[in-house]
Amino acid sequence: MVLGRPARLSHAGLGCLLALAAPARGADGTIAGKVEVRRESVAHARPAVADLGMPPPREKPDRGRSVVYLETAPQGAFERPLPQSHARLDQRDEAFAPYVLAIAAGTTVDFPNNDRTYHNVFSLSKTRRFDLGRYPRGESRSVRFDQPGVVRVFCEIHSHMNAFILVFAHRYFATTDSAGRYRIEGVPPGHYTLAVWNDGKLRATRGVSVPEIGGAVEQDFVVE
Amino acid sequence: MPSSALAVSAVALAFGLLTGAAPTEAGDSVVFFGGRLRLGGEVSGTIAPEDEGYFNYTSYQDSSLRLWRFGLAVEVQLAPGTALLAELRSDNLSTPRLYAAYLRLRPWSHRNLDVQAGLVPPVFGAYPRRRYAYDNPLPSQPLAYQYLTALRADAVPHGAEELVGQRGRGWLVRYASAGEPAPGVPLVSGDRWDTGVQLRLGREPLALHLAVTQGSPSRPRVADDNRGKQLSGRLAWRPSPALSLGVSGARADFLSQDATRALPDARSSWQEALGVDLELSRGHGIVRGELVFCRYRIPTVGETRIEAPLGAWGAFAEVRYKLRPGFSLAARLDHLSFSTLHTSLGRRSWDAPVTRVEVGAGYAIRRQVLLKASWQHNSRDGGRVSSNDLAVGQVSLWF
Repeated sequence: MVLGRPARLSHAGLGCLLALAAPARGADGTIAGKVEVRRESVAHARPAVADLGMPPPREKPDRGRSVVYLETAPQGAFERPLPQSHARLDQRDEAFAPYVLAIAAGTTVDFPNNDRTYHNVFSLSKTRRFDLGRYPRGESRSVRFDQPGVVRVFCEIHSHMNAFILVFAHRYFATTDSAGRYRIEGVPPGHYTLAVWNDGKLRATRGVSVPEIGGAVEQDFVVE
Repeated sequence: MPSSALAVSAVALAFGLLTGAAPTEAGDSVVFFGGRLRLGGEVSGTIAPEDEGYFNYTSYQDSSLRLWRFGLAVEVQLAPGTALLAELRSDNLSTPRLYAAYLRLRPWSHRNLDVQAGLVPPVFGAYPRRRYAYDNPLPSQPLAYQYLTALRADAVPHGAEELVGQRGRGWLVRYASAGEPAPGVPLVSGDRWDTGVQLRLGREPLALHLAVTQGSPSRPRVADDNRGKQLSGRLAWRPSPALSLGVSGARADFLSQDATRALPDARSSWQEALGVDLELSRGHGIVRGELVFCRYRIPTVGETRIEAPLGAWGAFAEVRYKLRPGFSLAARLDHLSFSTLHTSLGRRSWDAPVTRVEVGAGYAIRRQVLLKASWQHNSRDGGRVSSNDLAVGQVSLWF
């Protein structure tokens, strides 16, 4: 299944998971591989016509990072409880870091401000609407995400600042490292649809099978 | 191409870009040539009942509360440290006009010195650079930056009596020496930018902005019409992220050459402006305030001169508080007052003092789509209509 818009992730990517196939048995496996992002994606701020000079230097968000996740899977693969945890979305040099954060539902995300200026983190996404208000360097605010889906995060003061939080109803997802590698562990045997999300869109899907005896399954992607 | 066709084309382009921008994955601007050419824009529509007191008019025909505005901003990165910026606007489907067009330079990459030359944003005050619908908590503009006074820059009054006779009629000022009635000028124009060169020295927390331009604070110009220059500056200080302070000053020749040509002898005219602005923010609240004081030296056609410079004060304070994500409340208290003149009727202010109270709410349907509604009460000590109440609605979309 190909998702045209990130907002559909909450319905198609997560909602349909429970409707399929029989419970899985056997040893858990690992799905790993590499996502090669060939498309160029650079952040571009709006023209600042009313400014009285050059904008300050800004951190460039790393848009090469992708999130790889199981889009469809046998029902039993998702019967394990989700871990309750904390994640962090930093604000520094007028950018969010990381640019994309993948979490399981129930996770609380901290938003520390490490800039000299104020930031005002907010989201008007259906998945989670929040507005943290303005707070200075050294302070942090937190938001808990209980509903799966995509959350677009912005700063009200700096319109070029934006980030994504992908909230999953299961724990079978991974964010690629700087080399593009990912690793999803503890996957029960079965046939799955593996999806790659990059910079706001579902970019590719592919079927993978974890054998009954477990083990590692390699699956690489190219995002163009 | 006829101007109406040009306007429709520009509007269509703005809509096209706006709708085309909607699917951008990360909410960025529309870009071409690998980001060297960037576009941004704003479409806003403001509706209100007829403002019979002309409190919100920016010219004889145009009310800022009955306005459809299409704006398109462009930034072209010519080289590292060099950019060309422009903004094109069409109001109520009029022929698009250039609101800004200038070159931005950073001559030395390691120094905090920026130069902007062309049709540049004003350095005076704080409001004119945040007057876009998405950065203005209420649909209206502050009086000091919008309200038309009884002074004209293209004509001079016969004397104090004639000037005072125009109190509260800034939307269409009649001087006997001028052929046709025409709108007066605001204390500081928030609707047009001036042409010249400006410098920025330093960066937050302390920055100094200086400019030499063609027009005056009340009447920015593309082309000079009085052989005078405006000198303006602003010192901006942000002692903490929560607090921003600014002190501004400007001096410029005021009257056009056409106006001074009608005078019996050579007399100078000028405008001086002093401004103080403040912004305080924390959590979900922002408080902003500005104080603008202007003095005008105005010669007269008749023998009864206006000896002392004419003074005018504008002050406003506004607050915005976000109650919920996307939903905010806002209020602004605004006042204009004017110095007095001796007339046959006694001492009277040269224009009628005005007070405005506006309260409203804003709701963001999406990040880039904002709805606002407000109620505005205006009162004035003079003019054909001394007070009115207006319900105002505004929708704005930006990318």
